[in-house]
Amino acid sequence: MSYLSIKNLSNSVADFSLDNINLDIEKGEYFVLLGQSGSGKTRLLETIAGLYSNSGKIYYKDEVLSDKAPEDRDIGFVYQDFALFPNLNVYENIVFSGRYREIENAEEHLANIVDFLEIKNLLDRSIDDISGGEKQRVAIARSLYSKPKILLLDEPLSAIDPTFRNAIMKKLKEVHRKFDLTTIHVTHNFREASYLADKIAIIMNGKIEQIGTSDEVLNHPKTIEVARFLGFKNIFPSTLIHEEKDSGYFSVDPNVIRILNASDLKCDYTFEGVIEECMGITDHFKLFVNVDGNQFFIKILKREYENCFSNMHENVIIGFNRKDVSFI
Amino acid sequence: MKIPYKNSTFTIGLIVLAVIITFFLSVPILKMFVGVGSDKLLETIKDGEVLSSILLTMKVSLWAMVFVLITGLPLAYLIARYEFWGKSFLETIIDIPIMIPHTAAGIALLSTFGDTGLGDFFKYFGIEFVGTEYGIMIAMMFLSAPFLINAAKDGFRKVDPKLEKVARTLGANPFRVFFAISIPNARKDIINGALMMWSRGLGEFGAVIILVYHPMVTPVLIFDRFSSYGLSYSAPVAAVIIGFSALVFLIIRFIANRFD
Repeated sequence: MSYLSIKNLSNSVADFSLDNINLDIEKGEYFVLLGQSGSGKTRLLETIAGLYSNSGKIYYKDEVLSDKAPEDRDIGFVYQDFALFPNLNVYENIVFSGRYREIENAEEHLANIVDFLEIKNLLDRSIDDISGGEKQRVAIARSLYSKPKILLLDEPLSAIDPTFRNAIMKKLKEVHRKFDLTTIHVTHNFREASYLADKIAIIMNGKIEQIGTSDEVLNHPKTIEVARFLGFKNIFPSTLIHEEKDSGYFSVDPNVIRILNASDLKCDYTFEGVIEECMGITDHFKLFVNVDGNQFFIKILKREYENCFSNMHENVIIGFNRKDVSFI
Repeated sequence: MKIPYKNSTFTIGLIVLAVIITFFLSVPILKMFVGVGSDKLLETIKDGEVLSSILLTMKVSLWAMVFVLITGLPLAYLIARYEFWGKSFLETIIDIPIMIPHTAAGIALLSTFGDTGLGDFFKYFGIEFVGTEYGIMIAMMFLSAPFLINAAKDGFRKVDPKLEKVARTLGANPFRVFFAISIPNARKDIINGALMMWSRGLGEFGAVIILVYHPMVTPVLIFDRFSSYGLSYSAPVAAVIIGFSALVFLIIRFIANRFD
């Protein structure tokens, strides 16, 4: 059995349902749960932590976790807005779990966390006197101090100033390795997922739509909805390129579609279309070309084309190669 | 004071109206002390009957407050955190004592805890409400409990439920979360509500006098002296209770701010 196994988990609270969730997470895995706002990501994390009741089972190895109260599950939780206790200072926040649980080698463990997260100078401070990034490190420290079996991170980067996000993503990965954690990280940002995840699950409307390695999920979406959520553009029926695949759709990256000369048709697929719009954006043009009722979105670098296609409704030939096509 | 619009008619209008209400609220209180004079005040403080009445009033109001802290905080938390059938009705019941005349409340309490089945039930345990400190306590509690319960309810609503959820994942069971997170983070409102309840209890007259004339709480003593001897005998007692209440208020506020 997996380290954490979720079997047929469902629940329904306040007009929102989690519907038959099945997940297997291995020890040491950095698992990212990717979904839009309102897709049920946080609800699923809170259900794993025991904060909502559920049907189905959650197993930690062979042990049934879903029958236990939240305080008996040994699961660490870091909320998006950190949820530090305002009545306690930084140190008291971090060691909070020590009041209720036996923490082995507590002093050494605390020193280790405090050093690694570089928060030694904050310990005596009130939580009102520290910055957003510092609050996040304190919230992570508080979870780590309790020695959780699994660490749950709810959108940990969304309340952080964008300039610090990359550094914090790197730190999260380091924390995960250093403390030998199994982490479930919830986000709506697929770039974050792509950097951090060993495995990704896409959640939509309370259902898991796709699970796989980072490459599988981010580059080979199984449904049009997942593809659209992941930012795939130019999703058209496979019949347009005379390919018959199961799902019947393909997608092609706007950056690899070329504008061709009639005398130089060197692409696997070529189409004649009509320019509907051309927008000049800093270093590139966004071009919208209508091919038999299908609107292709194309990005072309300004340095490769001196002028935008200013004549609307001009006929152009566009092309792309088979290797650049993703079938959905 | 910074005045946003210099000499504007609006600002002057605000100040004039504010002075009128401040004058109305403060002058009668100041007049108590100025009008009575220090000799008379000292004499009243030394008067055993007055002092024991003030201590009795403060003590019983404190009991009432403690009782409502124990029973009312869970009620306030339930209302703040849970959605359940009849919640609005329950909130209305809590607010009713604020709306009804205090003498009517006294009659209601007497009809419930006086010579009735419920009164007999308590008598079995040695608790009588007519003419006893228990009677004073329930009269004070009935009319002032809403101040504490409502303030605590607002306080609990301001505590982010995520704090309680995180505390549970960190090993605290619901009871410990309540005492370690919910109450401490709602403490400002709870302390304010408790002070408000206690001070309302000190001033309770209408309901108390119907249940308990003797032993005399201070408002009853003031009334008794006023009706028997006139204004000059009742005013010093009023001044002393106001002074004592203000002193206790200041001390508690000072302590509460120190812990913030």
